[in-house]
Amino acid sequence: MSSKSGSGKTSKGAAATKPEADAPEPAEARKAKKSEAGAALGSSFKLSSEQSGKLMRVAGIVAGIGLVLGGAGFASDSKRFAFSYLVGFVWLATIGLGALFFVIVQHLVRAGWSVSPRRHLEWLSSGILPACAVLFVPVAVFAHTLYHHWMGEHAAHDELLRKKAAYLNPGFFYGRAVVFLVLWAGISLWFARTSRKQDETGDRSLSQKMQLASAPSMLVFGLSLTFAAFDWIMSLTPHWYSTIFGVYVFAGAATSSLSALVLVTIALQKAGLLKGVSTVEHRHDIGKLLFGFTVFWAYIAFSQFILIWYANLPEETVYYRDRSAGSWMVVSLALLFGHFIIPFLGLIARTAKRNITVLAGFAVWMLVMHWLDLYWMIMPTLDVGDAHFSWIDLGGLLLPAGVGAVAVARAATGGATYPLKDPRLAESMRLENA
Amino acid sequence: MSDLAMVQEDVPGKRVPLVLGKQDFHSVTESVAGIVEGPTPHKWKLLFVLALSILLILLGSLGRLVTKGIGVWGNNTTVGWAWDITGFVFWIGIGHAGTLISAILFLFRQKWRTSINRAAEAMTIFAVMSAGIYPLFHVGRVWFAYWLFPIPNQMGMWPNFKSPLFWDVCAVSTYATVSILFWYVGLVPDLATLRDRAKTKTRQIVYGIFALGWRGSHRHWLNYERAYGILAGLSAPLVLSVHTIVSFDFAVSIIPGWHTTIFPPYFVAGAIFSGFAMVMTLMIIARKAFGLERLITMRHLENMNKVIVATGTMVGYAYAVEFFIAWYSGNPYESFALMNRAFGPYKWAYWTMVSCNVIFPQLFWFKKVRTSIPAMFVISIIVNIGMWFERFVIIVTSLSRDFLPSSWAYFRPTIFDITTFFGTFGLFMTMFLLFLRFLPMVAIGEVKSVLPAADAHPHHDDDGHDAPGSEGMSKEPVHAA
Repeated sequence: MSSKSGSGKTSKGAAATKPEADAPEPAEARKAKKSEAGAALGSSFKLSSEQSGKLMRVAGIVAGIGLVLGGAGFASDSKRFAFSYLVGFVWLATIGLGALFFVIVQHLVRAGWSVSPRRHLEWLSSGILPACAVLFVPVAVFAHTLYHHWMGEHAAHDELLRKKAAYLNPGFFYGRAVVFLVLWAGISLWFARTSRKQDETGDRSLSQKMQLASAPSMLVFGLSLTFAAFDWIMSLTPHWYSTIFGVYVFAGAATSSLSALVLVTIALQKAGLLKGVSTVEHRHDIGKLLFGFTVFWAYIAFSQFILIWYANLPEETVYYRDRSAGSWMVVSLALLFGHFIIPFLGLIARTAKRNITVLAGFAVWMLVMHWLDLYWMIMPTLDVGDAHFSWIDLGGLLLPAGVGAVAVARAATGGATYPLKDPRLAESMRLENA
Repeated sequence: MSDLAMVQEDVPGKRVPLVLGKQDFHSVTESVAGIVEGPTPHKWKLLFVLALSILLILLGSLGRLVTKGIGVWGNNTTVGWAWDITGFVFWIGIGHAGTLISAILFLFRQKWRTSINRAAEAMTIFAVMSAGIYPLFHVGRVWFAYWLFPIPNQMGMWPNFKSPLFWDVCAVSTYATVSILFWYVGLVPDLATLRDRAKTKTRQIVYGIFALGWRGSHRHWLNYERAYGILAGLSAPLVLSVHTIVSFDFAVSIIPGWHTTIFPPYFVAGAIFSGFAMVMTLMIIARKAFGLERLITMRHLENMNKVIVATGTMVGYAYAVEFFIAWYSGNPYESFALMNRAFGPYKWAYWTMVSCNVIFPQLFWFKKVRTSIPAMFVISIIVNIGMWFERFVIIVTSLSRDFLPSSWAYFRPTIFDITTFFGTFGLFMTMFLLFLRFLPMVAIGEVKSVLPAADAHPHHDDDGHDAPGSEGMSKEPVHAA
């Protein structure tokens, strides 16, 4: 943990006193004010070494359990572990990607309300996405197991797959993955670093710079996420295709990252690290977005399903046939209720979104559902005909999740818990849901 | 005009004012209500005569259609849907901006919408009316059009509930109803303003009836805001649902080029795209003609341009993904349909669509273009042309070359195809001109709420008014606007 106590002190009271809305004050005056206020509020903008230590320990424990379970899983059934790991890896990656989307979009639309949540999204994206670059290695190693339908030898005798070989071939697949992972890590780190630089300098032009970068970043984000979804998930059933697939994966990324954001926000608020900066109003707004994207996910999922079901073309219905066979039907229905109907009814009320327990409960719930959604997308390739949940699946999830938790914890302990000198901080603090 | 140039500045942390100049409550009322109360401008009369003439062309074309039958259109056995459905989808798409602006931007607290939402909502309603013309008359015997609705009858005859065309009837009529309600609820306080300012008895009575006894009491406003919020919540999914259902008209079929899963969100993005372009075209003219540059500022126009480039890019994404998957699927019909679109007999239409919808809007990446009135005016028209072509391309190219090469045909519009489509502009313009003349084209009450004067706590740190749950922090208003 590399907390620089010096920089911490200077930025201590920036938000506690008077976030500079317009007229810049002389530096000395500001400094004096800050130390006063900082003393009054205590260190409330940075994780204490005790808190960071605890956070790192918890993350480390999860990673440790993941490593042990994952290793045991690999040893007992390496094929199953490969698939379980892919589910866990994509689960983590989509949380990071959803967070990156929201970081970019806040700059793109010059959002005012979301200044402090943006920092937590920066942690999530800049922690998770670079970690994913490393966590992809096992996927690459297992690729021939996972994607054996088109990487295996019999693909050469499959007329359809021969047609697709220009796209679906190992070399291009790995090459694309490298491009996606490098782009994601690069963009997320750049936004996080630029934002942290502003904590120190308070330079307004950094906001403009990030706004300028946000539009092209959004283009890159959209295209890379789409093709990663095609590559890593859709190509598991290489004959099957769906043009909406990228949007579907995006919808899951958005809900899961917002769920993670809810949990981070509540944890920091409870620890007293966001006093006056992030309040019930911010939770309410994040809750609204979570609710909205839950509906969006259902809209996209329904669109994909109804069009394929209605047209009833065998090359498309095969996807849903596999997912309605045997006990997979139970999983499908669990998604319908768990990923849509229950959170829809549960989060629709204003009071629900403003209630910490309810909101946090649904955030955890949605993270589980997101995992189940990916499980439903990926595992039928392995468990044909019936769903078989196994402890190995837990190892496949906890290993990447644990590493991701460590990476996010590292990002969180490195700096301030909200953008101390963001020019729109004052506006964010004034947020009120009328 | 110096204050009009000032909006170009964009300093993070400082919100530019949403209305310009030294506006107060009275001046806003004057500048908006004054349009309705003043003498009828000559230009308006000229335009109205023009619009009515075009409307007559529509009536003439429809009269011919009703007396002679659908055969007066160029549809043939292969291309059974052509300009009629193209026109329908074109207008329905345009009808998306209004409710998007009033509902979704409202839910996102985008206060800049207040200057443009009224006119955009009106435009929505008139666009939906124009759209309705097509299915209504395409049924052939228009006097039986009520069969579209599931009305119990002694013949025991029902519409086909499994048909997306029936879903369309439900989706569009729901959308039209809620849009009108939403628009009308927003109008009530302004109608009361017009009633109170009325100089003649007739105006007072007519506006008075529609103002529903509005007195502007606290209780009225409280109910009003609650109703507005609920309607916004209801309208937001409706905005998505209408064009989703319209896309189902095509996508639930198995016709290559129509049946693809991205259609629902892709159609919605396209609808918002075309809707904003139409709002743009109309607002550029209206703000200039009625001197509303200080209420509908460059900032509003620039924001709309950003929405246009964003949605245009989404549409471009859909084109690209469709093309990629057509190849990736390895499905020969799919790839034929797409290749036929781009390089077949309708390639001129396809490339018109791509350049209008994907290439030209990219010019809005440049602030210079985004803030240049002539540039945005031209691009907004280009976008509307492109979106008409998009529907034409989707509908006609897939049909004209079906599974049986012997039945392939080329669609050529007849004069009645052209006059019917042209005529719907007459309907649209007539309604819009009437709206401009008799109703406040800017939401007076809402614009007042974003004036500096409406901020109850401007520039005071220690007014002791904390946000609920802000845990004792004193708020600091950033800037009045």
